[in-house]
Amino acid sequence: MAKRVGIVGAAITPFRGRWYQKTYYELAQMATREAIADAAISIKDVDSVFYGIYNDIFERACIPEHPLQGILGMQNKFGIRISNGGATGAYTLSAAHAYLAGERFKTALVLGVEKATDCFDFASMSATPEVIKTIAWSGDTFFEQNIGWSASDSYAEVVLGYMDEYPGTLKPEITAQISALLSQQAKTNPYAQRQFDQVTPEEVMNSRYIVYPFKELEICVYSEGAAALILAEEETAKAIAKNSGKPIIWITGLGEANEHSFAGKNQKDMSHIVSDYLGAHRAYEMAGIKDPTKSVQIVELHDAFIHQLEISMAEFGLVPYQTVDSLIEDGLMLPGGKYLVNPCGGLAYCGHAVGASNIMSAWSARKELTKRKLKTALVHGTGSTISQYTACAILEHE
Amino acid sequence: MPERRPKLISDEFIPEIRSRVITLDNQDYLLQNDAMYTFYERSMGELSPFFLAIKNEREILGCKCSRCGIVRVPPMLTHCPDCEFAPTELIEVGQVGKMNTTPPITYFATSMFLDKAPFGRGRVILEGADTALSVMLYTTTGILVPGLIKKGAEVKVIFRNERVGQISDIYCVPISELTPEQIAKKGLQESELNWETPKEPQFPKPNDKDIANFKKCLEEMQALAAKMSQSKRARKAIEGWERNIAVKTKAGEFAMYINNGDFRIEEKKISSPDLVMACEDPTTLLNGLMYKGAITDSVIMKRLWISKNLEFNTIFKLDRMARFLVMEQKEKAAK
Repeated sequence: MAKRVGIVGAAITPFRGRWYQKTYYELAQMATREAIADAAISIKDVDSVFYGIYNDIFERACIPEHPLQGILGMQNKFGIRISNGGATGAYTLSAAHAYLAGERFKTALVLGVEKATDCFDFASMSATPEVIKTIAWSGDTFFEQNIGWSASDSYAEVVLGYMDEYPGTLKPEITAQISALLSQQAKTNPYAQRQFDQVTPEEVMNSRYIVYPFKELEICVYSEGAAALILAEEETAKAIAKNSGKPIIWITGLGEANEHSFAGKNQKDMSHIVSDYLGAHRAYEMAGIKDPTKSVQIVELHDAFIHQLEISMAEFGLVPYQTVDSLIEDGLMLPGGKYLVNPCGGLAYCGHAVGASNIMSAWSARKELTKRKLKTALVHGTGSTISQYTACAILEHE
Repeated sequence: MPERRPKLISDEFIPEIRSRVITLDNQDYLLQNDAMYTFYERSMGELSPFFLAIKNEREILGCKCSRCGIVRVPPMLTHCPDCEFAPTELIEVGQVGKMNTTPPITYFATSMFLDKAPFGRGRVILEGADTALSVMLYTTTGILVPGLIKKGAEVKVIFRNERVGQISDIYCVPISELTPEQIAKKGLQESELNWETPKEPQFPKPNDKDIANFKKCLEEMQALAAKMSQSKRARKAIEGWERNIAVKTKAGEFAMYINNGDFRIEEKKISSPDLVMACEDPTTLLNGLMYKGAITDSVIMKRLWISKNLEFNTIFKLDRMARFLVMEQKEKAAK
């Protein structure tokens, strides 16, 4: 019987468009120091570290985690890096859970960090074209990198596939309202990169096309920052919680799936995010959730793109495919609605420091479960080409 | 059609060895120019026949499973994972196919593709294939706009004249833009297509109302440009950027000068601009600068003509200035 595993500490650094003042060494230590303080333990009490770092080129090093082992006070202990595209953070949480549930360790530090915007394009004198080029090295090396593959156009393919399958969904005025809503939610998150960037639906609709059908204000922003969680198996978690006075948030379900990276017969279905469906439903099964619409209250969803947020909600079984716009039209995710979606502002407004993003989402879900005295949250990460990878976690507050 | 670069990395991408210091909260921080690069002589291995067929024969190959018969294009494997790894064999497939889904269009590309945007990239199921080949998509009629290529649209593979054995040796165009002979021809090359060259639009003579509108718009744009030049955020959008732009409208011409953070607009003609913009009504540009509709979208929707597609980059910067000015005003109000 696997051990229960809970979150007993969490912290994030502010997410920023650029941290001129800190390298990824300091960002990683900053989040770790705060998470340790949150759990009221010493770093000496932590048995293992799981690093979520997405892209070697961002950090400008292969094995970018090796200097962190000593910097974080984890020398001579277990350390492993997980790198799974945009889903890196959620997969890192999943890996740490497995080691603790399997009784290899009693405690784990889950640390996500990314320093993305040092990348700079000297031809256009701006960072973004080089940042997205760095991500574009993730496209298929033989068949796609040479023809302009990018993260945006890859996710846009799936979104357009969904719109082909379900015409009349993902209406521009709905995605605009969701973006505006997330911008409002970021207002109370002091760590958010766009805490004071509240936009109106009209502004979203008027913003420029980046990659059709995505407009500038319907896309997450690239960030620099770090996020850390302290995980512990049941007995240790209880002892830590007793000392810290903070509740344990249990990880009761996990589910993952990686789809085919080529499309067509027996391969990727471009009109769905099957990995989201499988990841969420596998997590529900592990957590014993029969009907997610009755159990899930908070969703911390990897909203790389607002359209994809809507599709992911449908794949999670929280809204029907054909009426996915009811998220707004029926108020399902509006204030006071059935689901609290991305209370931190999501990756669109809190920011997307890739390896740290899903860990930030778990930090937010834990905070909201505790603050609002709610029971169940779903944390989600998506990534790789054509929304290929997914990892989901169910967090529960006793 | 954008040409290939002669070198793997063009000189304009390579910065000088240099560093600079920025000061934040009275503390100096160092920024260093740097690069992380590796060169390769890549092995194409089992994929060699596919790429050699494109390069030498102007043919597209797929692989057919000896057991289930599925034909995969591209032929990325030698044994079928759905049939206990039964062997596959290479076969030739057609050069016309249908779009698997509506393709996205990239307007804001990565630094490696800035000179190729806007372009579509989508997946086509070629005749005789069961799976989709990822391809770049162009139109011969100018800028690719939403709605021009949709799911199920028939497209044809076009071969570049200069081929090196890479997937970028081919792209697709809609067959609706081709003659029956071109559609039927195997190995159709890009030099055989009739590419329309976008021409600068000519406007009718203005009336008094047009002239009054021009003056009003110009004054408002000049006032906005002055505000942008004073905005820390807006200046950042054009940091390190220099462009002299001639703007032609029905009722008159003016110049926009971008100079490393400074932005000004003057009613004058410039002889050798970096970029020419043309729009019948200057309100189009004014709205963009006022953050009431993106200038990028005006180009896409053909309300604004630009002389060089590569200068989309400058258009993005103008849009960013407009957004950054509004953001700065909102942030000040919120704080």
